[in-house]
Amino acid sequence: MKLKLFVDRLSQPCRAILIFCKLNGIEFEEVTIDFCKRENLSPEYQKINPMQLVPAIEVDGEFKLFESHAILRFLACAFPGVADHWYPADLFERAQIDSVLDWHHSNLRHGTTGFVFNSTVGPLLAGLPPNLEAAAEARKVLLASLPKVESFWLKSDGHFLLGRSQPSIADLILVCEIMQLEVLDEKVRKQILDPYKKIGKWIDDTRNATQPYFDEFHAVLFRAKEKLIKIRSTGSSDETKIK
Amino acid sequence: MKLKLFVDRLSQPCRAILIFCKMNKIEFVEVRIELSKGEQLSPEFKEINPMQKVPAMKVDERFRLFESHAILRFLAGAFPGVADHWYPADLFKRAEIDSVLDWHHANLRHGSAGLVFHSKLARLSGRPLDLRAAADCEKVLSASLAKIESVWLKEEGQFLLGNSKPSIADLSLVCETMQLEALDEKDRKRLLDPHEKVRKWMDDTRNAMQPYFGEIHGVLFQLKDKLKEMESDE
Repeated sequence: MKLKLFVDRLSQPCRAILIFCKLNGIEFEEVTIDFCKRENLSPEYQKINPMQLVPAIEVDGEFKLFESHAILRFLACAFPGVADHWYPADLFERAQIDSVLDWHHSNLRHGTTGFVFNSTVGPLLAGLPPNLEAAAEARKVLLASLPKVESFWLKSDGHFLLGRSQPSIADLILVCEIMQLEVLDEKVRKQILDPYKKIGKWIDDTRNATQPYFDEFHAVLFRAKEKLIKIRSTGSSDETKIK
Repeated sequence: MKLKLFVDRLSQPCRAILIFCKMNKIEFVEVRIELSKGEQLSPEFKEINPMQKVPAMKVDERFRLFESHAILRFLAGAFPGVADHWYPADLFKRAEIDSVLDWHHANLRHGSAGLVFHSKLARLSGRPLDLRAAADCEKVLSASLAKIESVWLKEEGQFLLGNSKPSIADLSLVCETMQLEALDEKDRKRLLDPHEKVRKWMDDTRNAMQPYFGEIHGVLFQLKDKLKEMESDE
């Protein structure tokens, strides 16, 4: 199966798929679609994904698929070398992982992406006007989602979501999402994450379980973080004003 | 497998699951959780679903599950009588259905549920309407209907993805569009009239799921009358 991944490493779900493929020895060709340069809006890319978002995949030059959870489920099942813990064959275990992935869309994803994009990435990296109202609304959703991860999805036993002893595709997706908070003003980020000890430990556990690829694919995020620190020190940013 | 469904028929994803079970002759006990009375906030229901939302499901008094798409996937896999077209075993066809279900959350669901709640249903639980939030959701809804019209519905096949038989994606999305019945008729027509393929698909899906579709949607039409009464009282 010849696999092409259309990705931007600044995108959380893209990183989850890249890490998953590397960890499982799945060969692919990486095609960069630079979101800040609006490459997702090109007519060529619209043929790959009519929703004009990343990630997307193409298999054997013809089967196209988008939506990161659908892609991860497909890859987990289509490549026989993928270990069961990523997306178990057992219907009950699989259903629980499905419920985390579904919950994620309107909760952690909506909150994190909305807050980070509207307050930081959009205005400071992509030249878009800041949308402080949308950022504030998303921040509320983020702050409501983190306690759910801390107290419900992370059980007392097991290192990973749902009390599991090995990571699943749900861990990859949610940790890559939380990592996006790295680009925020450091004070804002610590204020948001510091209260959650279990989340801090789970991020470390997932990172360790997915090295060296975790760090490899997050390098671009840390470069963006450095760039943003410079931008903030030279000009003013509205990020800390969002309540 | 003893199945308990914790549902409110006024909730779109709850209706999708009820119709699916009826169509596939899956036996279940229906436990009503009335959202307008805040029953989802009870300590007893929190044991079933700590997110305090419907739908939720319990199997054999031990396995609990929430999130409607996870429930539908589980039921399609767990009950051998369920026909393949609902959630195919073929990985490629299944992946396409997964992509519709995933797309749905931030698009049609967010748009439609948000518009209907903020402009109409909030009243039922004594909450104020939020017409600005409703307007934002309407933008998302319009964009989503346009995507269903141009991307998810193909030239061939009556159902989403050009399929000739319905899948759990059709069920989930159609129950969502049915919620627009709660709007004023002129607004509902304004939103749906530009999309001929969407309207045909809604009819085709409804017809494919009778008589259960009509039966389970009965409460929505009662709600429509109740809302008209509440509005004319004000």
